[in-house]
Amino acid sequence: MKNQLKVLRAMRNWSQADLGEHLDVSRQAVNAIETGKYDPSLPLAFKISRLFDMPIEEIFDDEFNGERDV
Amino acid sequence: MTNLTESAMFDADEKAGNNNQRILWMILCGVGIIMILGAIAGFLSAHSAEGGGPLNLAGYATLGVFISVTLILAFTIWKLFQMVKQSGERVPRREKLNRNIILACGGLGGIMGLAIAASGISNISEQGADPFVALLAGPLPLIIVVPLIFVWGVIMPVVAWFWHTRVIDEQEANAYRDGGYYAGYAFLMLTPLWWLLWRGGLVPEPDGVAIYLTFSLVWTAVWFWKKYR
Repeated sequence: MKNQLKVLRAMRNWSQADLGEHLDVSRQAVNAIETGKYDPSLPLAFKISRLFDMPIEEIFDDEFNGERDV
Repeated sequence: MTNLTESAMFDADEKAGNNNQRILWMILCGVGIIMILGAIAGFLSAHSAEGGGPLNLAGYATLGVFISVTLILAFTIWKLFQMVKQSGERVPRREKLNRNIILACGGLGGIMGLAIAASGISNISEQGADPFVALLAGPLPLIIVVPLIFVWGVIMPVVAWFWHTRVIDEQEANAYRDGGYYAGYAFLMLTPLWWLLWRGGLVPEPDGVAIYLTFSLVWTAVWFWKKYR
């Protein structure tokens, strides 16, 4: 899943380890989320949303184009 | 934000990325040392089984190569450790604890392996047992067995529980779970396959130790790949 984590982190001048410390996860976890190799759980996504004071859907993009599979 | 701070931030990430590779190499070198020590044990056991006595020139040369490679690997670990230390990487508290637990478990596993190998060597020199059988299936004295059972049956489950519930984060838990799936499938697919090949007279009888090692190896390889890729 695409996300704005790297940009938001850069705006605060944080390294991956810094963000990991804020979220209580490893640097590898931050790197995996940033590169789209791992999608965070809902609790972690809420934690990220609270940390950056932004709604989840503004940080993460599930590339939903509005068409529903019915 | 200035370009300077931005580059410093990404330097820190790059350094941390390099440290992951260094730690991975340290673990591989450690595994290499354990394997070479096993090879030295096997070599000396075979020598004892053939009557013992002083080694010939070829024997000394072989032993010299084994010891040299062990020393090179040990030096590499020390050098990599110094590089990790000097990089000044900021490691989150949780990750630091994780690394320490994994390194401690690796060290403990090495000591347990050496204790079993040492006992195997004494079996061979005293009873002239087959080196391979003595190292893997020979009798062990209670003075070694009791502490090993305590470590494996009491300490390790507590460490594993603590590691799972208090130390690793969700990304690592996910990587570990994936490792378990791959290892489970490898076990479910390969074991009957080996059994059928054996029944057909094409391969030797299925071996529990080989199956256990394959299961562990697949689990660990996928866990590390998923965590560090």
